[in-house]
Amino acid sequence: MAVSIPPDSQYDETVAMPKSVTITAPWPTYEEVAKSLGISKRRQKQIDAMAEEFLEQLRAKERAATSRAVEPEKRRKRASAA
Amino acid sequence: MPPLPEPNAVFLNVPYDQEFRSLYIAYIVGLCQLGLEPHIAAEIPGGKRRLDRIFELIRSCRYSIHDLSRVEVSPVPLAAPRFNMPLELGMTITWEILNPGQHTWFVWESEPYRLHRSASDLNGTDANIHGGTAEGVLSELRNAFWRDGAPPVREMFHVYRYVESRVDSILTRNGTRNLFAQSVFKELCGVSSFISELHRRGRGN
Repeated sequence: MAVSIPPDSQYDETVAMPKSVTITAPWPTYEEVAKSLGISKRRQKQIDAMAEEFLEQLRAKERAATSRAVEPEKRRKRASAA
Repeated sequence: MPPLPEPNAVFLNVPYDQEFRSLYIAYIVGLCQLGLEPHIAAEIPGGKRRLDRIFELIRSCRYSIHDLSRVEVSPVPLAAPRFNMPLELGMTITWEILNPGQHTWFVWESEPYRLHRSASDLNGTDANIHGGTAEGVLSELRNAFWRDGAPPVREMFHVYRYVESRVDSILTRNGTRNLFAQSVFKELCGVSSFISELHRRGRGN
């Protein structure tokens, strides 16, 4: 349910902006994360396999998208050659 | 002088219920994608009083996110408003006031302006509005935590959808149906962090 702005509100949508922070700490490595979470080596291997599976799916999607983009161009060239 | 907090650690103060499932997963995936380490109260080993454990967690984290979007009367018998999230936000604000520069807290809501009605003492604090969607959570996380080399929201959403689709197998592997169990939380963090690192390596960051 949407909430209306109270009539006496000092809130101004044009200037309101949630705060944000800039993180300058180094990116943690996966090994560091696994260590801090207490993930065992055996579990780490299962997690690695899931991550690899995801990336493979993503790469397959990207390949499919690329080939879909290239196909019409090939057809156009064939048609103009004919 | 208290010990310095972990620079990438984020205390996640969210409701633990099934209706919050997709947002809970989005918070974990999104934070890990930004190279941050989410922490929840369920991770802390038992033994001590729950409130003491939560306070220790707040102290050890550089940031905290307090999602007040579901501070409402629960639909079960003997219904009472859910005060845990505002209580933990109050503890965090006190800690930050007493130790300036050591902690940054964020309030998240699903509806704009509702915070000003539910907790008018927080006037002047602009909540991050996620609109009750996983995509909204990811987008707001990306806005709130600026980091060089952070992935675009679209990429974060792909990872979220993948992890979401694997939740059942993660639950089965951990022998539980409780999404908020410590072991499940850790595995969600592990998968999200590892994907994040592989992606970053792929982008050359």
